This record gives sequence, structure tokens and C-alpha cells, in this order.
Amino acid sequence: MARLGKQYSDGDVIFREGDTGTCMFVIQKGEVEVFVESDGHELILRKIGANDFFGEMALFEHETRTASARAVGPTHVLTIDKKNFLAGVHEDPSLAFRIVKTMSHRIRNLTDRLAKYEEDI
Amino acid sequence: MTMVEDLGRLSKRSGPQSSSLQDGSRIAVVGAGPAGSLFSYFLLNMAEAVSLDIGVDLFEPRHFCHRGPAGCNHCGGIVSESLVQRLATEGIMLPDGVVQRGIESYTLHMDVGDVEIETPLAEKRIAAIYRGNGPRNSEPLDTHSFDGYLLELAQEKGANLVPRLVTGVRREDNRMRVTCADQYCNDYDLAVIATGVNSRLVESLEDESREFRRPGRTKTFICEFLLGRDVIRDTFGPSMHVFFLDIPRLKFAALIPKGDYVTLCLLGKDIDDELMQQFFSSPEVMNCFPKGTVPSHVCHCYPRINIDAANPAYSDRLVMIGDSGTTRLFKDGIGASYRTAKAAARTVVFHGTGAEDFEKYYAPTCRAISKDNQVGKVVFGFGSLIQKSRFARRGVLRMTANEQKNANGSRRMSEVLWDLFSGSASYTDVFLRTLHPAYIGSLLWNLVAGNSPSASSRNGHGRGQECDRVEH
Amino acid sequence: MSNTKTPPRASAQPVFWTHAQQLEKLPPCQAQCPNSGDVRGWLGIIAQHEKTGLTLEQAYDRAWEKLTELNPLPATLGRICPHPCEDLCSRRDKDGSVSINAMERYIGDWGLARSLKWSVPAQSEKPESIGVIGSGPASLSFTYQMARRGYQVSLYERHAVAGGMLRQAIPDFRLPREVLDAEIQRLFELPVTLHKNTEVGLDISLNELRDRHALIFLGLGAQGAHRLGIPGEAGPGVVSGIAYLRRRKQRLALTTGRRVVVIGGGNTAIDAARCARREGAEVTVLYRRSAKEMPAATNEVDDARAEGVRFEFLVSPTQVLRKGPVIQWIEVQAMRLGAPDEQGRRRPVPIPGEKRLLRVDTVIVAVSQAPDWAGLDLEQDDTQWLMTEEDGRLAENLWAGGDDRGPAIAGKAIAQGRLAAEAAHAELSGTRRPLECQERRTLNMGEIKPDFYRDQERECQARRPQEEWLDSAEPEIDQTIGHEQAQREAARCMSCGLCFDCEACFMYCNGGGFTRLEESRPGHYFALSLDACEGCGKCIEVCPCGYLEVRESSANGSDQ
Repeated sequence: MARLGKQYSDGDVIFREGDTGTCMFVIQKGEVEVFVESDGHELILRKIGANDFFGEMALFEHETRTASARAVGPTHVLTIDKKNFLAGVHEDPSLAFRIVKTMSHRIRNLTDRLAKYEEDI
Repeated sequence: MTMVEDLGRLSKRSGPQSSSLQDGSRIAVVGAGPAGSLFSYFLLNMAEAVSLDIGVDLFEPRHFCHRGPAGCNHCGGIVSESLVQRLATEGIMLPDGVVQRGIESYTLHMDVGDVEIETPLAEKRIAAIYRGNGPRNSEPLDTHSFDGYLLELAQEKGANLVPRLVTGVRREDNRMRVTCADQYCNDYDLAVIATGVNSRLVESLEDESREFRRPGRTKTFICEFLLGRDVIRDTFGPSMHVFFLDIPRLKFAALIPKGDYVTLCLLGKDIDDELMQQFFSSPEVMNCFPKGTVPSHVCHCYPRINIDAANPAYSDRLVMIGDSGTTRLFKDGIGASYRTAKAAARTVVFHGTGAEDFEKYYAPTCRAISKDNQVGKVVFGFGSLIQKSRFARRGVLRMTANEQKNANGSRRMSEVLWDLFSGSASYTDVFLRTLHPAYIGSLLWNLVAGNSPSASSRNGHGRGQECDRVEH
Repeated sequence: MSNTKTPPRASAQPVFWTHAQQLEKLPPCQAQCPNSGDVRGWLGIIAQHEKTGLTLEQAYDRAWEKLTELNPLPATLGRICPHPCEDLCSRRDKDGSVSINAMERYIGDWGLARSLKWSVPAQSEKPESIGVIGSGPASLSFTYQMARRGYQVSLYERHAVAGGMLRQAIPDFRLPREVLDAEIQRLFELPVTLHKNTEVGLDISLNELRDRHALIFLGLGAQGAHRLGIPGEAGPGVVSGIAYLRRRKQRLALTTGRRVVVIGGGNTAIDAARCARREGAEVTVLYRRSAKEMPAATNEVDDARAEGVRFEFLVSPTQVLRKGPVIQWIEVQAMRLGAPDEQGRRRPVPIPGEKRLLRVDTVIVAVSQAPDWAGLDLEQDDTQWLMTEEDGRLAENLWAGGDDRGPAIAGKAIAQGRLAAEAAHAELSGTRRPLECQERRTLNMGEIKPDFYRDQERECQARRPQEEWLDSAEPEIDQTIGHEQAQREAARCMSCGLCFDCEACFMYCNGGGFTRLEESRPGHYFALSLDACEGCGKCIEVCPCGYLEVRESSANGSDQ
């Protein structure tokens, strides 16, 4: 069946923490794990599925990836170029609305988790 | 109902005759091609975000589930790289059934040889789709109409599909009256014309209202060849085949592989028998097909495309989007539909439905497209110069082929051609890149090298294949 | 030569190339109608009245004129016709066939209410006088068609009033006599004379009539009734269905008693059973096959059940038993269905030993009608139906139509009367007969595209409350549909095979091949220019009604 994007197999790493990123990714099909490594331990930050995006920070900042992403099962991922994205936002700022909304949601989640973490301590 | 609510409703209704949308406003969208459906989708999306309760009637008498011309909106069926990315960013994913084939390369065919230009990321980011549900008499496989999919999105957002043929839109007491062939008639706070240029509505609107000039049109030719999935995989591959041939009046021709079919899309000036015969009998075209024979086509049409924007593309409570208004010259018409649809939706939700609102917030998008089209004309002018000169064609071929061989080097020519063919970048962007000294320098060098006597020996490997077919 | 008309020739094989053409086709309703009623024509006048600049009133008037070109009794047929036209209506499987019969009745009633005048072709009076024997639907149809062409017509009817079986056999609750009276009365606006109480063969001989008139039409009907041929059948308490219905219509005294058994499964049997219910009897219909094989109209059977008529299937009477002259019992034999007969209906076979007696006061035998022209001095005896040529010619200047050629529905009789009149007129005047519409190709299934039509529920006639059905005034059960209903229902007609100005071809043709005609009427709205046609076939595929089709010469690319 015809599908867009690039195909990854189970366990393929899409990008690594520390890589320089210039694009965001949208999952066409399958699942992706976003994780960080410390002291040889892996910490899974979140698991996301079709229609969701990841690596969005690279669109707004010039810094390295803060986490790694890995395919869970066969996965199709579409790349969104920074240049194309910014050109689009320049013409139509509302293009960024969905990303901003999702990022805001993620911040809210993080805040909750942080608060809970501090409580636990 | 409390008295406060009652008063609230009263004041909303009896307020000054403002031309902005209010709760209960009704919008007529005429035509459910990409422009009409995306407009409805974004309008309802944005209205929801600002808690505006409006009704959208989307008029479309045809069914995109029909095979053949009845359910088709006639175009080559390419969703450009930039549009695929933007739709994905908006959360609109093209489902598997809609994508007939993911395109990952362009093959440029010239008399001096062929060269395949690959996408920089080795990723399928161009979608070959059917606007309707496949060619005439095609097998009902798992295909799904692109336009039908977008229409479903609009309906999921709450657009009300009205299966009637609109035959008139006119101003009536500060509202827009929509009349249909079956005598149905209704008044709306805003009428959005998204019929494209292959319906007579825009024509009759111009005749009736005299408020604007309808878009200029030119004829194109599109047909479908049935070859079968396996043959297509072995011959065309996931590559769009573009022809740069020295045929008078031919502007652009491409073969786009889809599921079981290959779509030919031909642009030119006054397309006629002679032009098509020359095209079909050129060896570059024939050799693309199995056994070097162009098979019979199963479905054809001569759709018109917009080559000169409607002017103006709006007035009070009336706006033209997609091909009915402004589109990109020759390329990425669906992308232009997306841009104009969204710009119009933004304008009416956040600003208003008056002519001045459209002038201030909608027209800039149209003008940007039109302005870029001016540059596009120049770029296509250059293109036809190259098309006419064997000398230039050799240079272009050599430069592209060498870039494709050299994976890590700069790929100025490849990128220029890629963006030009795929419609992924603006014409202005493409044009500026061709002015870069490195590009010009490289091209000059290749022109010399490509036309030197020993050129063929140096050029004979890699992706570019010199096939100096002197007329058989 | 136009530069876009030929496809690319690089290929060896033919190319799919579809020039369009406009071609009217015969719609299924008209093909199904025994009288070839132009249903699409008269519905289209109403549905498209705004497009053709008519007021609604004008449209109904014209629809009545169109309808009465072929049928002078629309209010009557609109009530009693079993409407085979609706059986194959293209709308049937979408949201129900168009209520053609109800529309015919509405238009018929419209014509009566407005006292509309016949649209008579401007033709001179003819010298020939015509004699018509009988005044049933075939005779009335023949009379009408001849009289409006200028012939003097004399109708010979043995009863005091005209109408034949319509008047003698159909109960008032299905066809009120006022409606039939009014429709028949209108015929006498034409040069028609009724010789009532005149029985040909008794009061006057056929030969005398043949001398008196240039041409004779026989509309004798099927006045005889088949008998069961069982012991005890001849005698008091056993009556034929037709005789029973006739006596009742004539409001003669009936002594049928409390227990009535009706034998037979046709419409006469059902009508007789329903009439007997109105006399207060307990009624049982005996039929020798099962319910599925019963030839009566299903809705009539349902209504009969609703009125309290009982049905017993797979039983056949074997003898009538009396005590002295008084009928007591009818003996019935249980049956089962055996092998199919030559018509495909399964033949009933007796089950040995299974007989029983039913207590009965009257037996009504309505098994089938028979010819009866005793005393008429026809060369043919009445053991078989009249064998005419297809157009109804029996002999020199002698024509026939209706049930005397074999029993059929009233619409068939109307058709036979009309076709005989057309042929007779052609012969008398030395002109050619008008071309029959059958010569047009019938629309194929699949040429109509139902999903291009919006869903619209079928309008049905209102019915009198069931508790009033058995009222002694014998009120009509079905009511004429309302004005808004009629307008909506007319608009449901898909106009199979004829342009109704949906504008799809005009709006979507890339090449601008269609231009609007200045003078429009149903079927004629657009002209198609082949020079502009680019052969994509889109118009054919978006044409909902099947009017546009592939021009044969271009289907395989061989055009020019």
C-alpha cells in the first residue's frame, strides 16, 4: 500500500540525543518512543502514535536534540523541514497553532509530573 | 430560556449591520474540491477555537466515489512536498488508500539523455493521488478519492453537504442568495466560490454581477494509461517522469505513476492534435513505456487551468478561493487551494466578510501567489530556452548527473529542477537560486564540458545516461 | 477539421473516445404501461413548470391534456389501475417508486374539478359514422379517439347507463359512481350518441348496424362466468361473482345470508368478498393455491383482510350440499402444490382423504370470466376469445378490443380501443398511423444514476379511518393526494431518458459544448455542439437520467 515518509523497523533510532536537528517528524503509521539515557539507564519520556509529532524543538531552536527517538514496530515517519515550516508560518502563523497547542499540553504534563515528583521527595 | 439569554440573542441580531460572522451565521461554500473542503474545515476549526457557532452548507452535487470523469476534478494528481508537510503539520494525514504512490524521485527526459533526481532525504514526500476515485472502468480496489477524503474531513468538522448543483449566486438585501438547478434557493451571510475554472459558475457570476473579471484559462491534456502495478514498478518506479523536449508550444509534460495507472499531464499553448502527435511519437516518451509503445489510454480530458487570477477575487460577502480565484502557475494548484482557502477562512473568522476585510487580509495571499507567478513565467521562459537548445540541454544534463553521482557535493541544479518540477518551492526562491554565482559558474563549466567532443565518454556512467539517440 | 477531436494516434489499439449525443429513450414506466402512457411527459410538465414559464395551474391543465391524449378516463384509471408502471420505476430501489397512479388520479380529479375541455386536434368533421357495441373502457377509449378526430360515434349499450364493467363490477368504495359518471359524461361533449337499453342481437342485429355505420367496433367484454363444474353448483345459493357485483351495483335486493364463501383468487373474488362484508356477512375466500400464487392485487387482499375477510388457501370445493332447496354446506378438498404448469404456477394437487364441510348460506363463484356473445351472430362462437389482428381488426370494417379479446386490466382495454381507433382512422382517412413510441429504445438499467437524485420520500394517498370502511354509504377508502404532495411527488420523477434541465452537462463541460436553447420545454433545454466536444465523456457520466450517451461511431476511436 502506498505510504508517505520514511520507513523504520522496530528499534531503529530516528535521532539521538545530542544530534543537531533541523527538522520535526510526524508519525504516519506505527509508534515512536522518546527516551533519554543516563548512566546506561534508559528513561522513556513518552510513547507517541500516528498523527503525533516529535522533535519539534528543532524547528524553533538551534540546539541539539534533548532526547532520542526510536521506532516501536514498523513505523512510517514524515519529515517536516525547518525551512518549509518557517516559510509556512511566515505566511500563515496559524500553521503553528497545532504545534503550540501540543507543546503547551506537554508543558502542562511536565509541570504536573514535576509537582508530583517534588511532593514525593 | 432566561431573559438574559433572550436579550443577548436580541442584541446580537439587532446589532449594527456588521459584516462579521456571528453565532448563527450561515456560510455557503460552492464546490467541494480541495479549496471548498479545506476552507470549510479550517473555518469550522477556527470558529470552534474562538467559540463561534456558525453553519456551513457545502454544495457539491457530484460523488467522489464514482470512477471516471463523473467523480473527478481533473488534474495530474500530485500533492507537492511542501503541501504534504503543511497538511501533516495541520494534523491532516493522507490515508493509505488516498496515496496511490509515494514519489521519491524525478526522472528528467531529454533528447540528450535521462537523469534521475532523487529527493535529498531519500524519503517519499510527494503523494500521487486521484482527485476522483480512479479512471473510467477502473477496478474498485482500495483507492480513495483525495477530494472525497478532504470532504469527509470537512463533514467531520460539521460542514453540511448539500448535494445540489449551484447555478447562481447573487446579492439580495445584503445577503448572498444561492440558487440551484432544482430551483432550491437559500440566503447566506457569506458565499465562498470554490468551483474551479472547469465549471460554468464563475462565468455566469461574472456575467451577472459585473463585480469582477473571471480567471484566465488555458487548456491542458490529461489521460490515464493502464499498465498494472508490476509493470509500473519495473518501468516507472516511484519516480515522476518529466519531459524536456524541443516540441513547439509544449510547456511541460509529465508521466505520474499511480497504482495500476500512469497519468499523463501535458501543458502547452493551444494543445491540439499536432502537438500531441509530436509528443507521443517522440522516442523519449515511447521509450518510457514497455516495448517502446504508447498504449491506448482509458480515460482522458482537457481540463482548463487558471493562468490569470480573478480580479478582484472577492467583494462584500463573496470570496473566490482555489482555482476560481488565484492559483500557482502550472504547478501545485492544490497547494494554492490550501493557501487561499486558509487565508479566506482566517479573514472571515478573525476580521470580517466585507470587501475591505478581504482586501486587507485575504488579498495579500493572492497577490503573493500572483507575484510569484510573474517570476514563474520568467523561469518557464528560461526553461523553454533550454528546451529549444540542444547545447543548453547537454549542460543541464551533465551538471545534474554529476551532482547525483556525487552524494556529498552541492546539488544546485538538482535542487532547482526538483523544486521547479515538484512545485515545492516558490518560483521566486527557485529563480534567486539560479542567480547564485556558484550555480552560474557551474552551469557555464558544464555547458562547455557537456558539449566538448569527449563529453560522452566522461558522461557515460553514473545515473545520467547519455543516450544520444540520433533520430532512429 | 476541429483540432481537438482526434485522439493521439501513436497507439496501435483503438482509444476510448466518447463523443456524446442526446437521445431520448423510452422510460420503464411507459414501457410497462399497456397503454404506453407518457408518464414522464405529464409529470415533467408539472415538475419543470418553473423552467418552462408555466404557472402551477397551467402546468396541471397541460398535464391533464397530455394525459388525456391517450386515456380519456384518468380519474377512473387513477383509482382502479393496478399500475404496472410503478413496478419497474427507476426510483423503486432508491426510496420507492413514484406514486404514478396517485398522480394520475390527482390530475384526473383536477380536470374534473376545473371542467377542463378536451384538447381536440384541429380536424374537420368526418362523414363516416361509427358504431360501437358495448360501453366498457375499450369502447369508451375507441369512441373518444374517433370522436375527437371528427367521426360521429353511436354507442350501443344494453344497460341504461354506459361504463361496462367499470360501472357493473367495480364497487363504489374503489370507484365512486360520481367520478365515473363525470368522466363518461364529458365524452358526450364530443359528437357521441348513446343508444341505451339497446342489446345488439336482440333489439337490433349486427348486420343492421353494419349497414348503418361505416365501421363497427366490438367492445363486448367478458360477460360470462366460468363454472366450477361440481355437483350441486346449479341451484339456489350459488351465484357468479360478476352477477353478484352487478346486482349489488344496481342496488338490487340481496339475500346472501350470514355465511358467504367466495371461491377464487382474482380481483373479482376479492371485490365480491369485500362487498359481502359490507352486507354484514361472515366471508371466507377459498383459493386452491397458496397466498403467493393469488392473482389479485396484494393491497386489495390486505384491505380485505383488514375488513375481516377470512382466507383459506389450498382448498378446492368438491360439492354443494342442500337440505331441500336450501344450501347447507360446501364440501372442500385440501390441496398441496405440485409441479409447475406451463405458466410456471404450481399446480394444486388433492391430498387424498382430506375433505371437510363448511357451513354456508351463499357461495359466490369468481374463478374466471368467459366470453358471451349469444345472439350476436358473430362468425365465431363464444367458446373462445376473439382473435383479431394486433391492431384490433377482426374483419372488413369490424374491429374489436377489450376483454372480448381475453380478460385483462382496464388499462389494456383503453390501449386496445385507442390503437384500434388509430388504425381505423388511418384506414378511413388514408393517412399513416402515428409512429408508436415503442420504436424508441427502452432505457437500460444502469443508464439512470439514482445517486444523482436527492432522497425524497414517496408520497402516499391518505386513507379513510378503518372504522369507517364498512360504512353503509360505502365511502371511498383512498383519498386523492393533497396539492403540496402532488407537487413533491411530480418532482420525484427522475425523467428517465429525457433531459429535465439538471444543468450538469452544461455546467461541467470543459469545452463549453452545451448551449442553452432559447425556447425550452421538457426534454429540450440544451443544444450540443460536436465541434466543441472533446470526447472526455464527462457529460455522459454526470447525466443522471441517461439522456446523453456515447455516439456510436466514436466509441472505438474510429470517428473520421
